[in-house]
Amino acid sequence: MLIRVQNLVKRYKEVLALDHLNLEVHEGEILGLLGPNGSGKTTAINCILSLLKYDKGSIEVFGSPMDPDSYESKRQIGIVSQNIALFDELKVEENVDYFCGLYVHDVATRLKLVNEAIEFVGLKEFRKFYPKKLSGGLKRRLNIACGIAHKPKLLILDEPTVAVDPQSRNSILEGLRTLNQQGTTIVYTSHYMEEVEQLCTRIIIMDRGKVLATGTKDELKAMINTGESVSVELFALPAEALAGVRQLPNVSAADYSQNRLTVRHVGGSHNLITLLDYLKSQGLSYGRVYSQQPTLNDVFLEITGRHLRDAEGM
Amino acid sequence: MFWHLFAYRLKCLLRNRGLIFWTLLFPLFMATLFHFAFGNLMTTGTFQPIKVAVVDNVAYRRDIGLQQMLSAISEPGDGQLLDLTITDPEQAAELLEERTVAGTILVSEQGVALEVKRSGLNQSVLKAVLDDYVQTASTVSQILQQNPNAAPELMAALQQRIHYTVEKNLSDAEPNIMLIMFYALIANTCLFGSSWGLKNSTDTQANLSDQGLRRSAAPTHKLRIILSDTLAALVITYSEVLILLGYLGLVLGVQLGNELGYILMIALLGSLTGVAWGTMFGTLFRQSEAVKGGIITVVNLTFSFFSGMMFADIKYIVDQAAPWFSYINPTALISDAFYSLYIFDSHERFFLNAGLLGVTAVVLSVVSYLGLRSERYASL
Repeated sequence: MLIRVQNLVKRYKEVLALDHLNLEVHEGEILGLLGPNGSGKTTAINCILSLLKYDKGSIEVFGSPMDPDSYESKRQIGIVSQNIALFDELKVEENVDYFCGLYVHDVATRLKLVNEAIEFVGLKEFRKFYPKKLSGGLKRRLNIACGIAHKPKLLILDEPTVAVDPQSRNSILEGLRTLNQQGTTIVYTSHYMEEVEQLCTRIIIMDRGKVLATGTKDELKAMINTGESVSVELFALPAEALAGVRQLPNVSAADYSQNRLTVRHVGGSHNLITLLDYLKSQGLSYGRVYSQQPTLNDVFLEITGRHLRDAEGM
Repeated sequence: MFWHLFAYRLKCLLRNRGLIFWTLLFPLFMATLFHFAFGNLMTTGTFQPIKVAVVDNVAYRRDIGLQQMLSAISEPGDGQLLDLTITDPEQAAELLEERTVAGTILVSEQGVALEVKRSGLNQSVLKAVLDDYVQTASTVSQILQQNPNAAPELMAALQQRIHYTVEKNLSDAEPNIMLIMFYALIANTCLFGSSWGLKNSTDTQANLSDQGLRRSAAPTHKLRIILSDTLAALVITYSEVLILLGYLGLVLGVQLGNELGYILMIALLGSLTGVAWGTMFGTLFRQSEAVKGGIITVVNLTFSFFSGMMFADIKYIVDQAAPWFSYINPTALISDAFYSLYIFDSHERFFLNAGLLGVTAVVLSVVSYLGLRSERYASL
């Protein structure tokens, strides 16, 4: 166990930011903290890093209580903050060297690590550039390089892909997967469910300072009633046929509008084949067919009654 | 480790062009402006002989002692005290009325009298000269009545007393109102170190910047970061002050005194005070760096104003009306240390200023450290 947080409570005056939060991070995993803005993800991270005072609870990192002077634990942690934390006056390689120097004192070792980090994030040809000359995506990569150069055992990334173009985002996620394969345990906070689904081996869904659900993406989806959703293009659908669709196994709802039949299921298997067989048996010819598995947004929706995106404004 | 932090901090600060402009180029520009705009004020400290009219009458012609004394102190040269016009009563009255002369001297049977139209420094000097003459003449008369044989020794003693203006050798330089402005400018440049201190405090605290957050999460003792940052800021501020001193002394010819060691010492203490002041200000308040920078600039300029940078006489007004303010105003302490170093042979006042400045720097540094070492923040 790399991190164990128990009953963590953090208040900002009247606002309860963390409400008896419990979480664990296991060695070798990529743990995703998913939740809308204001759900307490960053507050939890800052408490774990011993930057933020908290009202109640306990935090252990690498088996020891985490304090501001827990230098041995801090030495094994890398952080990539939500905002870009670089010195504009230092060039790319100088930034990486400076922050790596806070962890690694031997100059020769540091030089090697800095080169590896710059190469890893693909900034080799920009090493003499000042950050202001880099695009937003490249700055994000530099931000990551500064957090990983000292080869931490535990890497904490707080929304590292905010305002990043899709190409850079994919590159970042691919790099993180590689780091994980090399043995780095990763804690990844995001409000982008697609990223978390794509990257994380285990997911914690948070809202209003609480853990709502924990598990792999499949486990989380299995927790909810919402299952596969199928859409079929049809020129016409008689009322009797629609009623027949609603009688099919596992169907929770069926609607027909604008030449499109949408059928929602609650779990089960072979739902698509069953539906298409029924339509054929009714002599109905159909066009394109779409099938969509439930998403983490469906999980969040079912637990909270709100969409992840909607919750951000609250 | 320490030198790694120091070297990068030095790079960071030196590459901040905006701050380099305000802390280095701006003082050089101001010094040049002062030199060309107010350079003629340099001569205002030179003493001018006092114009006085003497009524030429029988009593005056009979008073040989007075004639000799007035003649001696009116001889052109470095020691000339009076500029005499010996004339008739009417013209003497006219000159006094026109204020061409500071006073008229009238000798009568009752003695020597001085007539003036107003009071002032010149009139006070004239009165002192005549009082001294009357008192001396009376003493001599009494001595000669009692001991006529003492005449030769008495004359020798009087010859020595005839010099009313004696140059007191305070230093090799002359007092100069303009220097107060230049010294205040040097002091102000020391306090510009506050800009570097402010930047350091912002970049150190997790609740003020992302860089601060990253540095706070690292396994590096806060004190090591604070010391390396402070040393970098101090090196830059001190270098800037030395460049300004060099420019003032070598290019503009401003008198800085001859005691280089003490000059370097007060510049160093001033620079440290400036950096510590900015660090403390940045630590105690949570406003944005721009807002704090604006406030600290206003405070620094206020300190400089009250130490005479814009209006030299304000320094004397403050010294008389609220002397305590000069003891807590770092700009006044620095500029006064420079001035006392230049003007006095004794170092008593210099060390008083230096001591107070040292205490100020220590207090500011301790408060800054207590604020910066904050282990966990209430909010980020």
